[in-house]
Amino acid sequence: MSPTRVTAAVVGVVVLILVGVLATRDSGDDRINTYLIGEAAPQIKAQTFEGELWDLDDQRGRWVVVNFFSTTCIPCIQEHPHLVNFAENHKQNDDVRIVTISFSDTEAAVEEFFRLNGGDWPVLTSETERVAVDWGVVAVPESYLVSPAGFVAAKVVGGVTQDYLEDLLQEARNR
Amino acid sequence: MIRYRWILLVFIVFGALIFSELAEQPALTNADKVHRIADDLACPVCDGQSVAESDVPIAQAIRTEIARMVDEGFTDSAIRSDLVSRFGEDIDYTPKQSGLTGLVWLIPILAGVLAVFLLASTLRKWQGENPFKVVTIKNRRLPVLLFVLGVPVVAWILIAQFTGNRGANDFPTGDIPSSTRTLLIEAQTASDENKILLYNEVLVIQPSNVEALTYRGWTFWRTGNSEAARNDFTAAIEIDPTYPDVRVFRASQLFADGNYEEASENLIDLDALEAPPIVWDLLSNSKLRERTAAALAAQGELVKALQLLDSGILRDAEDASLLAERGWLLANTFEPNLIEAAIESLDTALVLEPTHPHALAYRSLVRFVLLEDELGAAADIEKFKELMNPPELLVQLLETQGLLN
Repeated sequence: MSPTRVTAAVVGVVVLILVGVLATRDSGDDRINTYLIGEAAPQIKAQTFEGELWDLDDQRGRWVVVNFFSTTCIPCIQEHPHLVNFAENHKQNDDVRIVTISFSDTEAAVEEFFRLNGGDWPVLTSETERVAVDWGVVAVPESYLVSPAGFVAAKVVGGVTQDYLEDLLQEARNR
Repeated sequence: MIRYRWILLVFIVFGALIFSELAEQPALTNADKVHRIADDLACPVCDGQSVAESDVPIAQAIRTEIARMVDEGFTDSAIRSDLVSRFGEDIDYTPKQSGLTGLVWLIPILAGVLAVFLLASTLRKWQGENPFKVVTIKNRRLPVLLFVLGVPVVAWILIAQFTGNRGANDFPTGDIPSSTRTLLIEAQTASDENKILLYNEVLVIQPSNVEALTYRGWTFWRTGNSEAARNDFTAAIEIDPTYPDVRVFRASQLFADGNYEEASENLIDLDALEAPPIVWDLLSNSKLRERTAAALAAQGELVKALQLLDSGILRDAEDASLLAERGWLLANTFEPNLIEAAIESLDTALVLEPTHPHALAYRSLVRFVLLEDELGAAADIEKFKELMNPPELLVQLLETQGLLN
């Protein structure tokens, strides 16, 4: 075989491998949306703005919606009424709890936001940057559904609606 | 045989060069390590910026997390793999060497081998010989030549890449810059003028080096260039709000400017940080907190003054100096219920440090003036008199009240 043919063959194989790799891997968005799902939920142990210590491990046995939020983010503000309704809907059965983790925000602003807009679930304001890094949060809002066994069942990048959360919960329960 | 000796010689010379350069790498500061790791990770939400360059909240959070892990002694690779496991492989500018991603490393090598092969075969073809003859045992001149030339080139690239603080994008020629660590150590013992030059040099290599910014600011401050000092402190705090040294210097500068409230805020922020003992020693020796609290109280900001002292006491409940100052400020309110708290604070200070001059002087005054406890005051004064070189201001204070002659 002549050198030209050898070269052409090698280049062809390399190009084929590259095409195969690029064609079969997940897109960037897919990877962001599926990361952590099925994994054990990273630890969350931080203080609420009322000064109480909140620990995700204490919630074993019930579903938890972990919501990363900032008062300066429009989708966070838009999704808030949906979270309030979702929490209200599950209050009686106490089968799902919500925890909000403020990210890159001031405690005073978060406290004022919840006072004005409702939401009586724990809002964590300390060590939140560390928690956000632990959860691989890239931008708020992001929400995670954590199963009663402590595994991440679903992840939503962007704002949620009450219906969408209910669907996610139902889907996760049926699995 | 002679040919093999040459190869061996080339190996030894360049191997020794590489080894010596790598072995002499000075230890990096933690801030250097944080910057190096952050510089090698892509910001997860911004195009074309590293975690070190980006100011988006998650990049700042990642930098804080890297700093924490560096301080806790995690290795670079452990930090990198931890963050990659959270944010995905896309954030790693250094692709892993296994799996499909490993092709990124393999393909350039394959391309290089192919290029050499083609070059060799073309050269032989021009000479009218069988191109594949170059790989036969009998005729090894060209591969040997390429090998001998290749080793120095590889050695040159390795040395250039790993020596000093040359960035990944810098062209590997020209002077090898000193490491920032070396420059910072040199600056410690340099004259003020040279300190500033050395810190400037560090900041050219690494513009976000908080240590250099902080200490250049402090040098500016001590040499009277207060505007430049303020700018450096502000920049250092913006880059790394958790760097404790800058908080002390900033507070000192604000105190000197008469901005006691902001000085107090910086000291309270400092209390929340994990600072090395030298920082607390500096603060304790300068009595900056006590002086700031006294200045705030003199401005009528008693609550803020007490908050500042309490923040320090919360961090170190056995700081007799802070307890004494707290007691004195409370006593100066002349409120009966606060005077009780004042005595309690002064008593605690003297239990912790029975010969603390301020606590003795303050308690004697409170006992004498406010509680009309002349015996108690006299006992404190007797102890005060036994002190070697008591602060002159305290002596004057006691003299004006007639407690000392």
